[in-house]
Amino acid sequence: MINTSKSNLVFIVAIIGLIVTAALVLFNLVSQGHAAFNGSNLGLHWTFPIVVYDYFLLTSTGLAMIASLMLIFGGAHCQPLVRRCLWLAVAGLVGGVSVLALELGYPVRAIWAIPTSFAVTSPLWWKVMFVIAYVVVLLITVNLLRKPGEWPAAARTSAILLLLAALGVTGIAGVVYGSMTMRPFWSSGDVPVAFIFESLLGGLAFAIFFSYLAHGFSQERMSAPLRDVLTGMLPKVFALAIFVHLMFVGARALIGLYSNAEGLQVWQYLAGTSLFHIELWAGLVLPLLLMLSPGLRSNAGSQTLAALLVMISLFIARYDYIIGGQLVPMFKGAWAPELLSYAPSFTEWMLLLMAIFLANAIYVWGEKKFDLSWCKQA
Amino acid sequence: MAKWGMVIDLDKCTGCQACTTACAMENNRLPGENWQDVLFYTEGTYPNVSMKWFPRPCFHCENPSCVSVCPTRATYKDPEGGFVLIDWNKCIGCKYCQVACPYGVRFFTDEKAVVQPDIRDVFPAKDDRQWDPPYKGPQDDPSRGIGIQPHGVVSKCTFCYHKVSKAPEGVADLDEDIPELKEYVPGCVRVCAPKARFFGDLDNPESYVNKLIADKRGVRLKEETGNKPQVYYLSGGAAAAVPGLRSMKDKS
Repeated sequence: MINTSKSNLVFIVAIIGLIVTAALVLFNLVSQGHAAFNGSNLGLHWTFPIVVYDYFLLTSTGLAMIASLMLIFGGAHCQPLVRRCLWLAVAGLVGGVSVLALELGYPVRAIWAIPTSFAVTSPLWWKVMFVIAYVVVLLITVNLLRKPGEWPAAARTSAILLLLAALGVTGIAGVVYGSMTMRPFWSSGDVPVAFIFESLLGGLAFAIFFSYLAHGFSQERMSAPLRDVLTGMLPKVFALAIFVHLMFVGARALIGLYSNAEGLQVWQYLAGTSLFHIELWAGLVLPLLLMLSPGLRSNAGSQTLAALLVMISLFIARYDYIIGGQLVPMFKGAWAPELLSYAPSFTEWMLLLMAIFLANAIYVWGEKKFDLSWCKQA
Repeated sequence: MAKWGMVIDLDKCTGCQACTTACAMENNRLPGENWQDVLFYTEGTYPNVSMKWFPRPCFHCENPSCVSVCPTRATYKDPEGGFVLIDWNKCIGCKYCQVACPYGVRFFTDEKAVVQPDIRDVFPAKDDRQWDPPYKGPQDDPSRGIGIQPHGVVSKCTFCYHKVSKAPEGVADLDEDIPELKEYVPGCVRVCAPKARFFGDLDNPESYVNKLIADKRGVRLKEETGNKPQVYYLSGGAAAAVPGLRSMKDKS
C-alpha cells in the first residue's frame, strides 16, 4: 500500500520546487526574454527546452503505448500497471508541453494558428494534430479507468485509439527530425521507428521505476499481481526493449563515425564525450546485463537501478540527438566555429527542474486521488 | 507573373560588404544579424593559405524547405514574384524553418545580441517591436516580414520586397544603371561597387539574369537539397564546369 505521509511529503516538495523553479524561469524570461536561453542564430535553434519537451512527450506516449498494449492484450493482473502508466503519461505530457509553451515565441497564437492553418506539408503540423488527438483519447481513457474496479467495455476501444494516437505522435516526432535531409545527423528513414522503440523503452523504465517508488522500493509492499508482473514478464520485455534501442544507437553511431557526409563530423566529437559513454555503457549496456541475468532480473534493487539508468540514458540520447544535429553551422563562414559549442543556461536547467517538479506533483496527486495501485486480488 | 532572381558573379565580388551594409540600413537590421552577409572562409595551412568569401542573401528558393515545414503557414511563397516571405502575424517562433533552411539565412529575433552593447537597450521600443531605431525606413508590413521586427518571430531577407514589388510590370531586369528603375532595385544589388550582382525575372527568357546563367554557367548552392534557389552564382565561364546535380531531372 502507498505510504500516505511519504506521498504527502513528495507532493509538498514537488509543489515547492515547482513554485520556486517556475518563478525563476518566469522572472528570467520576463527580464531577458528568449536571450535567457543559450540558443543562437549561428545554428543552435532548438536547445535544451526542446530536448526536455520531446523527452517528456515521448516518455508520455511510451507510457500510453505500454498501458494500451496491456489493456488490449493483458489481463486483470495488469491493472496496477495500466492505471499508473496512464496517469504518468498525463503527468509527463503536462510537464513537457508546459516547457514548450515557455520556449515558443507565441504559445497562445500557436493554439489557434496551427490547427487552422492546415499546413499539411509540415511534419510539425501533423505532430500537433496527433498530440491533440492523443490528449483527447488519453483523457477519455484515464476517465474510463479513473475508479478502481473492473475495466469497462469501452476501455479496450479507447486503448486501441490511444495506441494509434501515441504511435502517431511518436512516429511523426521522428519525421520532424528524420525528414531534415539537409542535416545528415538527423535524417534517416529509420528515425520514426527508432523514436517509437525509444519511447516504448522510456515508458517501460518509467513504469518500473514509479511502481517501485510508489511502494517504497519494496516488492513485499506490492500487491501479488503487480509483483508477479514485475518479476515475470516485464523485466524480460524491458531487456528486449533495451537491446533493440541499443541496436539503433549502435548502428547510428557506427554509420555516423564511418560516413564522410557533412554534418556527421559531430559523431567524432560526440564519441569523445563522457555523456555519450554514460548513455551507452552505464545507461544501456549495464541495465541490459542486469535484466539479462536471471538472478538479478527480478530483484527490486537491480530493476530500480536499471530503470533509473535507462531514464537518464534516454535523456542524454535526446540531448545528443537534438543538439548534435545543429552543431555544424549552416553557411556561417568565419563568423562561426567549425563546431558550435553549447551548454544549457541556468534558465534552461530550471525549465528541466520545473518540468520534473510539475510532472511529479501531478503524478503524486493522481496517486493519492485515484488509488493507482488498486488491483483485483487473485 | 515575374519570378525574381539574383545572379552573383563571384569573379567580380570583392567581399567589400557594401551589400551587407546596404541591407542593414535598408532593413534596419540589428548589428551582426545580417540578412545579407558575405561569409569569409580560410583554407589551407601556412604558408599556403587562401581566404575565400561568399556573398549570401536568402535564396528565395523555388521549393523552399522553410515553407513546407512551417506549421502555421507563416512562411509562404508569394505567387506574385516568387518571394519567400514571413507573416509575422502568424509566426509562432517555433524555429522549425530555421532548422530546415539548408543555407542558414533565417534569424530568430529574440536571441542574445551578437554585438554588445545591445542596441535594443539603447533605442528601446515603444510598442511590441524589438527596438526603435532613430533612423528607419518608412516601409512596414508585418504580414510580409518587413519593417522593425516584433519579438518572438523569425526574420529574413525579403529580396527588398518593398522596392521590387513596386517595379513596373513586365520589366525583365532591375538594373541600378537604368535611372527609371533604380528605385526598385534591391539594396544589396544597387550598391554593389564592382557590379557583381544582377537582379531580374527568371521567367522572362529575355532577361539579362537568364542570359548570364546560361552563358556563364550559373550554379546554385546545395542543389542536392532540392530547394532550387533563385539565386545563382557565376564562377568562371569555361566550357568545363562543375555540375550542380547528378541528374537535372526534377522530383515529380
